[in-house]
Amino acid sequence: MPAVRGDGMRGLAVFISDIRNCKSKEAEIKRINKELANIRSKFKGDKTLDGYQKKKYVCKLLFIFLLGHDIDFGHMEAVNLLSSNKYSEKQIGYLFISVLVNTNSDLIKLIIQSIKNDLQSRNPIHVNLALQCIANIGSKDMAEAFGTEIPKLLVSGDTMDVVKQSAALCLLRLFRKSPEIIPGGEWTSRIIHLLNDPHMGVVTAATSLIDALVKKNPDEYKGCVTLAVARLSRIVTASYTDLQDYTYYFVPAPWLSVKLLRLLQNYTPPSEEPGVRGRLSECLETIFNKAQEPPKSKKVQHSNAKNAVLFEAISLIIHNDSEPNLLVRACNQLGQFLSNRETNLRYLALESMCHLATSEFSHEAVKKHQEVVILSMKMEKDVSVRQQAVDLLYAMCDKTNAEEIVQEMLAYLETADYSIREEMVLKVAILAEKYATDFTWYVDVILNLIRIAGDYVSEEVWYRVIQIVINREEVQGYAAKTVFEALQAPTCHENMVKVGGYILGEFGNLIAGDTRSSPQVQFELLHSKYHLCSVATRALLLSTYIKLVNLFPEIKNRVQEVFRADSNLRSADVELQQRASEYLQLSIVASSDVLATVLEEMPAFPERESSILAVLKKKKPGRIPDDVRESKSPQPTAIPAAITNATTNNTNSSSADLLGLSTPPGTTAPPSGNGLLDVLGDLYTTPKISPSTVQQNNIKKFLFKNNGVLFENDLIQIGVKSEFRQNLGRIGLFYGNKTQFPIQNVRPELHWTDLLKLNVQMKPMEPVLDAGAQIQQMLTAECIEDFTDTPSMSVSFVYNNVPQKITMKLPLTLNKFFEPTEMNGESFFARWKNLGGEQQRAQKIFKAQGSIDLSATRTKLAGFGMQLLDGIDPNPDNFVCAGIVHTRVQQVGCLMRLEPNKQAQMYRLTIRSSKESVSQEICNLLADQF
Amino acid sequence: MIKAILVFNNHGKPRLSKFYQYFNEDMQQQIIKETFQLVSKRDDNVCNFLEGGSLIGGSDYKLIYRHYATLYFVFCVDSSESELGILDLIQVFVETLDKCFENVCELDLIFHADAAHQVLDELVMGGMVLQTNMADILCRLQEQNKMQKAEAGISAAPARAVSAVKSMNLPQQLRDMKLPDLPQAIKDLKF
Repeated sequence: MPAVRGDGMRGLAVFISDIRNCKSKEAEIKRINKELANIRSKFKGDKTLDGYQKKKYVCKLLFIFLLGHDIDFGHMEAVNLLSSNKYSEKQIGYLFISVLVNTNSDLIKLIIQSIKNDLQSRNPIHVNLALQCIANIGSKDMAEAFGTEIPKLLVSGDTMDVVKQSAALCLLRLFRKSPEIIPGGEWTSRIIHLLNDPHMGVVTAATSLIDALVKKNPDEYKGCVTLAVARLSRIVTASYTDLQDYTYYFVPAPWLSVKLLRLLQNYTPPSEEPGVRGRLSECLETIFNKAQEPPKSKKVQHSNAKNAVLFEAISLIIHNDSEPNLLVRACNQLGQFLSNRETNLRYLALESMCHLATSEFSHEAVKKHQEVVILSMKMEKDVSVRQQAVDLLYAMCDKTNAEEIVQEMLAYLETADYSIREEMVLKVAILAEKYATDFTWYVDVILNLIRIAGDYVSEEVWYRVIQIVINREEVQGYAAKTVFEALQAPTCHENMVKVGGYILGEFGNLIAGDTRSSPQVQFELLHSKYHLCSVATRALLLSTYIKLVNLFPEIKNRVQEVFRADSNLRSADVELQQRASEYLQLSIVASSDVLATVLEEMPAFPERESSILAVLKKKKPGRIPDDVRESKSPQPTAIPAAITNATTNNTNSSSADLLGLSTPPGTTAPPSGNGLLDVLGDLYTTPKISPSTVQQNNIKKFLFKNNGVLFENDLIQIGVKSEFRQNLGRIGLFYGNKTQFPIQNVRPELHWTDLLKLNVQMKPMEPVLDAGAQIQQMLTAECIEDFTDTPSMSVSFVYNNVPQKITMKLPLTLNKFFEPTEMNGESFFARWKNLGGEQQRAQKIFKAQGSIDLSATRTKLAGFGMQLLDGIDPNPDNFVCAGIVHTRVQQVGCLMRLEPNKQAQMYRLTIRSSKESVSQEICNLLADQF
Repeated sequence: MIKAILVFNNHGKPRLSKFYQYFNEDMQQQIIKETFQLVSKRDDNVCNFLEGGSLIGGSDYKLIYRHYATLYFVFCVDSSESELGILDLIQVFVETLDKCFENVCELDLIFHADAAHQVLDELVMGGMVLQTNMADILCRLQEQNKMQKAEAGISAAPARAVSAVKSMNLPQQLRDMKLPDLPQAIKDLKF
């Protein structure tokens, strides 16, 4: 075997050992600085260095860089090495560049010519060095410079396999940077047919490339499915001796198999071609059969490679979700892994099962393994495996096993790792709520949660239990009794005091009949905790006390005494002081009727998505096995069903605010069944072109900006500057006289029809505009309700004794009252799904103005007022935005999605909001703008 | 896609690092530090996958690692890679290094960083798996070495002669070098 070591560079070796012998960081830095100075002087010196020396110095620089020191020179020497004829020098030059040069560097331009030369070299090793370099840097410049050559290299018949392989990955890298680099048309089929290449290495690289292309344009590359299945079938049926070098520890081409199985996960099962489908099923069956065979080697590499293929096959089965027998088989196979001695396999098995649990066909099969999973949660040594077990329990939970799973999770919580407690608390709270048939059980679970892991119970969790108790009459008495009992513990968590205080304040009367929980006892019990609590809790308790005064007039004196206490009435905390003094006055001044009205029982909360779910999603995007089951099953989600007695339309925000929750925009809408599927559904299937709206063009451009020239002719220029906050806006108009003579009798007038929806006030202004002068006029606007009519303004004036009149639209459209809203993918899609109703959607498909320019579209959208959300849409070309329209009467959450279709040069625009008229108007405003 | 390949020793000293996504120098060092902290505190019998640290992209990325004697080999990958597949890839990488250096050890990576990079470049390109067949990789490396040797034969003879004279005392020097925990060669581990 070639020993790479051997003829080393002595100077380098000495330098490295020097560094390693340094006793302190300071000594090391000193030695490095000395060396840097030395190299610098060598590079700058008059003596030309030979290749060996250059190589040595560059190696030294690399080592210094690896230690974490900045290297700010040597780049030019590396660039020079590139054009050397000697391989060893060239190679070191490339190495330096790929490690040290970043994509934005100006140097890139310098090296492009050298790379071009190497790319045309007849020596495949030189070509590969060039391809490596292009792929490692992978910048836009590279894509521009080599965009035409590399595809040719890839499909040309003369190219050697080694080069082809590199060319495929190089192209992939450039494609990621600039997608337009891949030529369409006949290239498509040539690229797809690389899957038939006799060289396995080429196929592996090509599969990676095709996978990326498919993600971009599934239809164009649909042909790859048949070829991929055929290739896969040839591999899995091959005996391990057939593929010689590509057999890894007795497993035929494991990496390629994995890649092919991944590629197939981009498509739904090939249903139109039953032959292909049958062949694929056969492959999958064979993979399962092989998994059952006795291992051909005891080495862990053998089982790793075999199982890598198996897990990928299972992923594909889950993705296809169409063959019940395969799904069940997958589940049984994973079940075996759950008790495998390899930790890696247990981890992966739990993870895959999480996905299986979401399929209707295999959900029941997964449930059979409940015992083992619970054991994993409790007994695994590795916290990341325990975490997976918790995730799986959460995913496999349904009505039938909820009580047991929740019980086990609660039990485990007492000893659970700190790192996963908070998430577990959220999961338990959600499961308990979702599957509660008896709400006394729910109340018990949550109180237990607070008892066991009070520190990890976030506000959302205890807010939620209060919401539910208030909305469900039948548990109120039970809840009051239970919290009363829980509070009797000598030490109880502050969160328990909060829940207890709130519930007793509302429903203490329900248990007051019992002498053991008489009003006095209740009050004294709560008050015994008061001094140990934080200010926020004390404030809550003060409210409870005044509520108790209303419920039980007999303890009024005692409560007043507490209010009067110096620690409250003169508290250093302004909130406590205010509450104490106001409540005290209220209890003194108000008659019992008034008191009863003011302190009435809380009205039921409006239905809404569980705020806890939102928190969990935020915490672990992607971690939650999406509630796919819910969207498939016919019954509505458990949450709205739970709150049956809630008055649906009661958006009494004051009651919500007391709990500190603000109504999330748009979540009050009823969830629709297949909203999510709809989002991801087939694009562009209904291309209907809406007639372009006839509006003055100059106003349309103000959709995306707030400042600019509104009107201009030979006489006068009117500029505008505006700013908006919430539902209010301030607009400054600047009238400039372009002539040498004064303009007189300037009289602006406003016209608009939606007087009740939009309020615009104009400040008076000077009627005379001197020559060359500019005067300013302020307007204020308030959006009362969403509106469609843009106010227009006519300005009449007299110039040179001739009366003139101009009319223009004001840049005052509904989108100006947007507040951008940041959100992650989970919550975006959750809301999107919630807003799936016919009344909430608006959609338009329109032709692009000119060719599609994504960056221009992005700039425009950024000025529109909504928040552009990146990385949410699976297709990176699509734009999604979120915002809240502020009006005086309400706030309307609004989501937008804009999908460019480059082939058709069309856009599809979808708006969803909780109000039909808003969706319509935003859609109309944006249509035909890109 | 592979986002980064990091090799560091039991004390967190970086021995080889390659990033397939641009991070500035400072960030690269921070990432190595963070990754070391995440990986080094794990027992040897726990699983080889964990969520990425916050610097490299958090839970959207996985760290897949193996621990050989004094060195950690860590691959940071996104969700499009198979965990077990990458684990095998690390194995291929180490086995190839082992063949190249005849029982590779930590010092080889230090003194022959260029060769280690050469091996890595044959294995992974622009963050994608390029070649998994060890025989092929070795064959290519051999070709490259041949070229180097041939070049050295023509023009570097004088330089080599000088260097040979200079290094006469080298064995002594090597013995003088203080190398803490000279690592047990990786061959001791069972493949």
